[in-house]
Amino acid sequence: MARMALRADAAKYFLGYIWWILEPLLFVGVFYVVFDVILDSGRADFLVFLMCGKLAFIWFSKSVNQASNSIAANKGLIGRINVTKTLFPLAVIQEGVYRQLAVFLLLFCFLYFRGYAPHLAWLYLLPVMAVNYLMIVACSYVGACLVCIVRDFSMIISLSMTFLMFTSGVFWDVRALGDPHKTELVLALNPLAFILDAYRQVLLHSTAPDWIHLMQIACGSIVLLVIVVVIMRRSSQYLALRALS
Amino acid sequence: MSAGSGEVMLALEDVSLSYQSRRKSFDHGSHHVLDRVSLKLYEGETLGIIGRNGVGKSTTLRLMAGILAPTSGKVRQRPGKTSSLLTIGLGFRPDLSGRDNAMLAAMLQGATAKQARGYLEEIKEFSELGDSFEERVKTYSSGMMSRLGFTTALKTHVDILLIDEVLSVGDARFREKAEAAMKSRISGDQTVVFVSHMEAQIREICNRAVCLHEGAILAEGDPRDVLAAYREVCY
Repeated sequence: MARMALRADAAKYFLGYIWWILEPLLFVGVFYVVFDVILDSGRADFLVFLMCGKLAFIWFSKSVNQASNSIAANKGLIGRINVTKTLFPLAVIQEGVYRQLAVFLLLFCFLYFRGYAPHLAWLYLLPVMAVNYLMIVACSYVGACLVCIVRDFSMIISLSMTFLMFTSGVFWDVRALGDPHKTELVLALNPLAFILDAYRQVLLHSTAPDWIHLMQIACGSIVLLVIVVVIMRRSSQYLALRALS
Repeated sequence: MSAGSGEVMLALEDVSLSYQSRRKSFDHGSHHVLDRVSLKLYEGETLGIIGRNGVGKSTTLRLMAGILAPTSGKVRQRPGKTSSLLTIGLGFRPDLSGRDNAMLAAMLQGATAKQARGYLEEIKEFSELGDSFEERVKTYSSGMMSRLGFTTALKTHVDILLIDEVLSVGDARFREKAEAAMKSRISGDQTVVFVSHMEAQIREICNRAVCLHEGAILAEGDPRDVLAAYREVCY
């Protein structure tokens, strides 16, 4: 059942599929102009540095943003059938996965042309992406429930994504803060900053991520996910009432 | 009544439903849709529900379908029986073709991918959409949309059919065809709950009727008596 909805959503976006790549690239372009050309970041590799962080960040922010609104947006369907409410955010997230595959492919090509030859260490990306995905699903489910119950959360979530963009080291380097304690603090407090940094460590320095930290984020996401899914299953009809009223 | 002989398929027991309305300052926030409604549905019967706009007809169907849970009271359904709510218009995904929507609807109503694919040609034929079936629903007129919705609903099989106003749309010819199809299905052992504003339809199709008024049951029993009660609150 879920697969059908996914296929459906992919089909929906097929026409506009050039936007999958164009939109993130435009973001990268603007950030590049502002932080390198105008503000002079002082990094020779700023563009690749920015791309590694920004493209992964967009995956997270866009998926969570859209998935959060998905239950409320599907009230037509919810009023007709008693379905598991996880179906709606999951469909949006899967759509984002397809989009992101294209974006990552582009990133790899770009890195290759900038002299970062594909390395066996790039395989470290697989666990990093998996944990990134888990974070997206967990946050999306929580967001989707909150927005369904009180619509105002939609604003709060989209604002949070903007705040996260500034605080997660998208256009600045957590490792270049000068004070190592500060770096650790940022990485410990903000899982997304850790994930973005892990992408860069793997792609630009062929270094393995901090496995323990990665596992902690994975476990945290899974625990959150299990709790939300149990709640969503139990209160499926309550969510339907909130979506409809 | 001929239909009362079967077993109880579904029962609402003292069911109330209320929700917090958004504009709290107006009515202390609580909106009562249904107030202590008890209702039984017997196997093989066609139960009509009539009432003015906003008295809780659609909500009653949603409770029966398990989409909503009552605030208090119980909804009991015979174990192992499936029910499905058919409504028109809502629920379509405008960016998908009629075919994809029909597929999605059939699968969400419990059909497997293979079964759903089997329904598709029937749906295309009965709905008379022709080539439009492959086009996006966004481009459909409301009549076309209702044809697709009705046909998709008709062709998928469930034990209890909950019908919300689906027969009051479409052009005259299609409506006749739809009514005939619905009647042939109802005359079998299909259990049906049927919501409509059209008195003639209730009188012809249903063997028992209920009139809802202000969240409670105003009259219940023979359709003719119930319709008389309905007319009194209407005028």
